[in-house]
Amino acid sequence: MRTTTLFATLWAVATLAQAAPHLDPGAPPPATQQAARAENRTRPASVGATLQSDAERHLRASFDAADTAHSGMLSREEAQAGGFGWIANHFDAIDTRHVGRVSFDDVRRYLKLPDAAASAATAK
Amino acid sequence: MIPTPPVRRGARLLAAVVAATVVTACGGGGSDGGVTSTAYVDANHYSAAASASLTTPNENTAVTHHSVTLAGTAIAYTATAGHLAALSSSQAAEASIFYVAYTADGAAAAARPVTFFFNGGPGSATVWLHLGSFAPKRLVTGVPATTQSVPFPYVDNAESLIDTSDLVFVDAVGTGLSEAIAPNTNQTWWGVDQDAGVLRDFVQRWLTVNGRTASPLFLYGESYGTTRVPVLTRLLETAGRRVNGVVEMSSILDYNSNCSVEGGTPTVNCAGFLPSYSAVGAWYDLATAVTSDSDADIATVTRYADSTYAPDAATWLASGTLPPADHVAALTSFTGLSTATWDQRFDMDYDTFRHHLIANSTLGVYDGRVSALVGSPLDAADDPSNSFVEPGFTAAIQTVLPGELGFTTPSTYVLSSDAIDTWDFSHGGRAMPDVVPDLSAALSLDPSLKILFLGGHHDLITPFHQTELDVARLPAGAPVTLHFHPGGHMLYLDDGSRPLMKAELAAFYAAATGAP
Repeated sequence: MRTTTLFATLWAVATLAQAAPHLDPGAPPPATQQAARAENRTRPASVGATLQSDAERHLRASFDAADTAHSGMLSREEAQAGGFGWIANHFDAIDTRHVGRVSFDDVRRYLKLPDAAASAATAK
Repeated sequence: MIPTPPVRRGARLLAAVVAATVVTACGGGGSDGGVTSTAYVDANHYSAAASASLTTPNENTAVTHHSVTLAGTAIAYTATAGHLAALSSSQAAEASIFYVAYTADGAAAAARPVTFFFNGGPGSATVWLHLGSFAPKRLVTGVPATTQSVPFPYVDNAESLIDTSDLVFVDAVGTGLSEAIAPNTNQTWWGVDQDAGVLRDFVQRWLTVNGRTASPLFLYGESYGTTRVPVLTRLLETAGRRVNGVVEMSSILDYNSNCSVEGGTPTVNCAGFLPSYSAVGAWYDLATAVTSDSDADIATVTRYADSTYAPDAATWLASGTLPPADHVAALTSFTGLSTATWDQRFDMDYDTFRHHLIANSTLGVYDGRVSALVGSPLDAADDPSNSFVEPGFTAAIQTVLPGELGFTTPSTYVLSSDAIDTWDFSHGGRAMPDVVPDLSAALSLDPSLKILFLGGHHDLITPFHQTELDVARLPAGAPVTLHFHPGGHMLYLDDGSRPLMKAELAAFYAAATGAP
C-alpha cells in the first residue's frame, strides 16, 4: 500500500512537469506544409475516377509488398503470408483461370474496378 | 462466455520481466458475484520520448469486476488494463500497447461486437474517449459551462455503449503508457502508415488472444484518430479481417483541405468553416441572419457557404480581391464578426475568428462556446475549452488507473507527447495525408462496411461542414451516415448531445451487424 502511494506521488509530480498539450489535430511541421501546398497546386482533392485510382494505388502497394518474388503474381499462400489475407480469402473467385496464382489485374477484375486505361482517360 | 483471462503471462517470445507483481484480492474496483479482482503493479518505466525503446515488455493485466445499470438493466462487466504486444507477420515484437478493455460478462463472442477507440494528435493518449465518452463510467464536466471544479465527478454512464459492444481504449505508441519494443523506438511508429500498421497488428493480436476473431469489429476515431482509423480499416480489410463499422467523430479526412492546420500565408479555402462560425456567433447572440444552430439555420448558412462564400474566398486567395460589400455584410450577419475583420482576412481562419468575435475575449478551439477574458487563467494557454477540461482528465487518469482499474505504475501516463514534431505525415504519395482514398479502397474490398460521421456544431478545428465536403468526394450511394449536434470537438462532453449520439450509435451498430 505504501508502495502504491509512493508511485502515485511520483506520478503526480512527473505529470505536473508535462508541457502544454499539442493541438489535435495539430499542424504538421512547416516544411511538410510547404511541400504539401506546392503539391496541391497541381494535385487537387481527388473525386470520381481520380479518387478510384488513388484508392487503387493503396491496394497495388499492398499487392507489390506481398509479392516478394517480384513475379507480378501471388499464390494463396504468398498473399496470406504477405499481409494480403483478403486475396487469400477470396482466392478461388479471383483465380478464374484456376492457375493457382493471381495477378493484380485479376484482383481488379474481381473488384470490378474500371480498367486502367479508361480511368486514366477520365482522370484527365 | 467471452474468455477474460486473469493475469496473462507474456508471450514466450517476449522477455517478460516482472519486477514487481502484487496480486491482491479486489484491486479497488469492487467485486461481483464472488469473482476475484486482480490488481497489478507494473514496474516498467514507460516513455513517450522519440528515442524510447522498451527492453522489458510484459503482458500482465489488472482485472477488475463491476456492474452498471443501463435503462433499468444491470450489466456485469470486466475491466482489463495492461499491455499487449503488437506482433509483425513474422512474430517480431513491435510495440507494447497499453489498453483498457471493458467486456460484458457472459455474452456470446460471435455475436458480441468489439470496438477499438483511438484519440488522435498525433501524440494524444486515448484518455478523452476513455474517460469522457461511452465507457461504463465517465467524467462529469458540465461543458460548455466552466463551473465544475477538479476533480471532475466520475460517475456511472447512462449512455455507455457497453450494452451494445465491448469497448477497448487503445493508446498509440508513445502516448499514455504505450512504448515501442526494442530494437524499435517510438519514432519507428510515428508516421501515418507506420502507426496504422502497428495498430493493425495490435488489433489482430488482441482479437486472437481474447478469442474474439469471430466478433463483429468496429473502430472509433476522434480528431487525428479519424485520419488513423481509415488507414487502419483499409489495412485490416486488406489483411482479411472484416471491419463492420467505422465511427469518425470530429473528422479530419484530408489535411490538405482543412484550413485549420494551415500556418502562415493562407492557401486553403475556409468555406467549410463558415457554418461553425455561424453556430458560434449565434450562441453569443451576435449573428443577426441566424438565431441558433438549428437544422434550418445551419442549412441556410451552409447553402451560402457553398454558393457564395466559397467562390468569393477562392477569388480572394487567388488575387486578394474582396467581393462586393454586401457579401461581406452577409458574412457579418451570419457570424457577428465585424466587416473590418472579414476585410482583413477574408479567407477566415479559426484563430482570427475566435480572437476577434468578442472584444477582449478568447473563444475555445475545441468548443467555441467556451470563452475567457484575455489575461484570465482560462486564457493562459490560448484555448479556454481545453484549459478547462485538461486538468480534470489529467487528474482523473491518475486515480482511475490504480483505483477503479487496479493498475499501478511508476510511469507518467502521457496525455500529450511530442510525436507530432517528428511525425511522418506522408501518405499515398502526398506530403500530408488524405484518407478518403483509404475509405474508398476499404469499401471496394468490403462493400458491407458502414461508416458513421459525428461532429459538433461548435468545434472550430474539425468543422462539420468540412467533413461533409470531404465525404462528398465518395461516390454517390456510399454507405455513410452523418449526424452533427450542438457541442465541441469532444462532442460527448455535451450532456444534451451525448444521449443523441448514443441512440445514433445503437442504430448504426444494429445496421452494421445486420441485427434487427
